[in-house]
Amino acid sequence: MIRMLIAAIAALSLAPAALADERAYATPELAAGVEEGGTLVTADILGMVCDFCAVAMTRTFGRRAEVSAVHIDLDDKTLQLVVREGHELTDATITDLVRRSGYQLTGEIRRGDAA
Amino acid sequence: MRHILTACACLALGAAAADARPVSYEGGWTTIAQSDRTMSSLWVHYTPRYDYSIGWRTEWDRSDDLLFNGPQATWLARRWFGEDYQGNLYAFAGAGWAEGVSDNTRGLRGAGYVGAMADWETRRWFVSWMGRVSDMGEGGHAMQSGRVGVAPYIAGFGELHTWLMVEVDHHPQEDTPVAVTPLVRFFKGPMLLELGYTPAVNEALFTFMYRF
Repeated sequence: MIRMLIAAIAALSLAPAALADERAYATPELAAGVEEGGTLVTADILGMVCDFCAVAMTRTFGRRAEVSAVHIDLDDKTLQLVVREGHELTDATITDLVRRSGYQLTGEIRRGDAA
Repeated sequence: MRHILTACACLALGAAAADARPVSYEGGWTTIAQSDRTMSSLWVHYTPRYDYSIGWRTEWDRSDDLLFNGPQATWLARRWFGEDYQGNLYAFAGAGWAEGVSDNTRGLRGAGYVGAMADWETRRWFVSWMGRVSDMGEGGHAMQSGRVGVAPYIAGFGELHTWLMVEVDHHPQEDTPVAVTPLVRFFKGPMLLELGYTPAVNEALFTFMYRF
């Protein structure tokens, strides 16, 4: 009985951590990219109302060697990507790539824990 | 001058509202096959910069049995961004040659068109207009069309998106100048498909678009 209680308490105590991990990354590709040492980057995008058009951003960022994963969230209106370990993608480059995709950034680009 | 304006208006109307996203992302290719109550077309374009595209258009005007071939340039004149909306204003022009097909024995003649397109959309609502004036070697033609659409559900990125739309087109030179076409638009990833029907003339509408 005591063992069962201990097991239940242990399971409950681990659950929030597991949920937090699950919420941290929108896709397995983002999670894998961070797992490999990459840096998560999040940017808020204006005018991202069309899924068909947002594909432009996955194509534009997806073909960059510095980027290991890209995700678009139409609900949050955000672009998330993982920059590979040892590579750099500056704010200016991200802003330019978003513009070349036909969109516009708003707010600050967030990296790492802030992303 | 009046003829030129008329021709411009006709050309502007010829490019249908279905030509959504006539400018892609830098380095992107788009293929659009389309058929409506008056014409069938194939258009392939490349976007060298985010604000213009260049491509090749083949268009069969089924009313006059004329086949047009030529390059088309499209310019994104203005894009409005908001947190929950996007609006676009485009101008376009094409020049090439047109010849008679089927029962039309007319030979090759120079042809061209100019037009404008505008759209505004949220994830729920869509409104667009396009107008074109053209001269396929037989005098000016003008057309225009407008659309309103609603998404019955809001889909996420990469999911199947569905839009219910109604298109109203105005072709002054046609026996039925104004026609209404209900249609359904689907898109998922880089593919877009539209299916519709124009009861007034018993013709189908079809659009398929793919982005590379």
